Amino acid sequence: MGNLIKAEFRKTLTLKAWWALMIPAVVFAFAFALFWGMVTNDFSDFLGRSDTRELTEALGISTGELPVGLLALGHGINIGTMIPIIFGVFALAGEYTKKTITTTFLTAPNRVSALSAKMITYIAWGAIYGVIIVAAASLGTVITVDSQRLPTAGQWLGVLGAGVLATILATLFGIGVGAVWRSVVGSIITLTIWMLVVENVLVFVMFGAADITWLGGVLPNGTVNGIVGAIGAEAFGAAGVKVPGLQDETAWALQYAAGAPGAFSWWASALIFFGWTMIFFLAGWAVNQKKDIT
Amino acid sequence: MHDGSGRIAVQNLSKQFGAVNAVQNLSFTVEPGSVTGFLGPNGAGKTTTLRMLLGLVTPTNGTATINGRPHDQLGNPARVVGSVLENEGFHPGRTARNHLRVYSAAIGMPDQRVDEVLGLVGLSSAADRKAGGFSLGMRQRLALATALLGNPQVLVLDEPTNGLDPEGILWLRNFLRAYAREGRTVLVSSHLLNEVEQTIDQVVIISQGMTRYNGSLDQLRKSNQSRVLVQSADASGLVSALQEAGITQVSPMPDGRVAVSGATVQQIGDVSAKASIAVYGMQEETADLERMFFQLTQGQYAAPPPGFQQGPPPGYQGPPPGYQGPPPGYQGPPPGYAPQNTPPPGFAPPQQFQQQGQQPQQPQYQQAPPQQQAQQQGQNEGWGGQG
Repeated sequence: MGNLIKAEFRKTLTLKAWWALMIPAVVFAFAFALFWGMVTNDFSDFLGRSDTRELTEALGISTGELPVGLLALGHGINIGTMIPIIFGVFALAGEYTKKTITTTFLTAPNRVSALSAKMITYIAWGAIYGVIIVAAASLGTVITVDSQRLPTAGQWLGVLGAGVLATILATLFGIGVGAVWRSVVGSIITLTIWMLVVENVLVFVMFGAADITWLGGVLPNGTVNGIVGAIGAEAFGAAGVKVPGLQDETAWALQYAAGAPGAFSWWASALIFFGWTMIFFLAGWAVNQKKDIT
Repeated sequence: MHDGSGRIAVQNLSKQFGAVNAVQNLSFTVEPGSVTGFLGPNGAGKTTTLRMLLGLVTPTNGTATINGRPHDQLGNPARVVGSVLENEGFHPGRTARNHLRVYSAAIGMPDQRVDEVLGLVGLSSAADRKAGGFSLGMRQRLALATALLGNPQVLVLDEPTNGLDPEGILWLRNFLRAYAREGRTVLVSSHLLNEVEQTIDQVVIISQGMTRYNGSLDQLRKSNQSRVLVQSADASGLVSALQEAGITQVSPMPDGRVAVSGATVQQIGDVSAKASIAVYGMQEETADLERMFFQLTQGQYAAPPPGFQQGPPPGYQGPPPGYQGPPPGYQGPPPGYAPQNTPPPGFAPPQQFQQQGQQPQQPQYQQAPPQQQAQQQGQNEGWGGQG
């Protein structure tokens, strides 16, 4: 297994994709954190004066102390997480596209070991992406958010852990979708459109038209975003713990501001997204275990 | 674990892709120490068979083993069997050296092995170039280098001469023969017998997914007997006269001539004279290996040209030793093949026949399209009256 993992790392490191994709990951995470930090720094302007008062009274803190840095971090990390998904697609679908899968299977004791080595290697890559993305988002956050509104060290560590967990799962999710479909282009285009457009529109429309607040808490994009985003939402009392007196609409708006509309809690999001990942990953695994390589 | 014998065994192997029977009940063995040709027309099931042997395709029925084990039970399979499949398996953006470094790591070989195999296949100078910019011939060499990484006991090559120039083919031939001489097993597929004829000792011929011949090439060569084509005034009279004279391997042909085997021109002349049947021409025909190959494999194609006789070619004397049964569903030659017993229109007796006959070992590098080959073959048969 060690040999195969070494081979998988060489496979990635001898091509450009791993660092080429690192560039948009860093840029997007940084830029989104910067932008959201700027927008939310003056939080009462963002949310409206009466809502802010309602919230700060309920939380028992002053407006100036709201940890809005978490919101910036959440958005930066969430957009960055799109990149490990794309990176994951290349893992197997890329091998099918370039037909290197033949040699990969021929040089592994069996397919279980070939796919296991790939999974372990890409967990490591997911973690590497996670650290980089959290770092880029953090940089964007500290530039624009006032120091008293930054998260505590403990919160930051929590964000790092959740961010790494999210990017690892995102990578495996990408592998799974790519493994089921075995097309790099098809998988990437569909995933990008779904994650960035379709699901967001769905969540908005369902909230606006039918007052459905939970949809984002169960769909793939909502749940992967919720892993980090819900930490921010929870700090504002809008997820996990229910602040008495906080209206549903305000809670949803706060969750949205944190990048996790509909999220129940960070760990619920993680569990549900883990479920999505497993659906695709196991389906992809099953397909590849038996697939004829012709 | 595997038995280390170097033997490839295919037993009752079948593969169905949907409604298509790619391989049907195929059985053969390949022994170490020789180069075995795996021959059949395009679409005969060669690639599917090799891919089943290598664990890339799951058989519908039967087994394909190397060293007594299926591919996924070989432990570290690339140390047992190396394979060259139809030029694929390279990322265009990876250099040759990096490609090999990936797979040397996978099979646990030291990195210096990468430079060794690059040298072996003559790619050292192109080691740091990206595989995407390689010519077909270079890609074949890189594929061979990948196959050799694990220093395997068994080599399986699918159409390895594709894209190689004559020099490359000669080099590959010598390489494979040397490899087999070390007591290793080499199985090489091709759809052209003349391309591998100089390389192989043993041959497995398949068509329509079934084994047509499995034995030594020499035996196949020896089994080819010459025949005499007789143009006479009375074909049926000649047939019965010959049969009365004890010459039984006689069959009339669609063009009115009679094909006779197991008798000399003199014997036939004597018989016809005795029977008072005028003979206008006689011509000796030596069947070559290529024709044998066509006869064994031409059932592959369904539509015969108009007027072509159904069934085995006249004068065909039965299967050679090792021949595993008549081609079922034999319906005629492939479209584009001139019927073997009809001379091309306006054909004049060529000189090449003699030359070819005298130099049977002359390597044939050129890969002629089927039609051209069939015509060459017709020429080799030396049409034109002798009497």
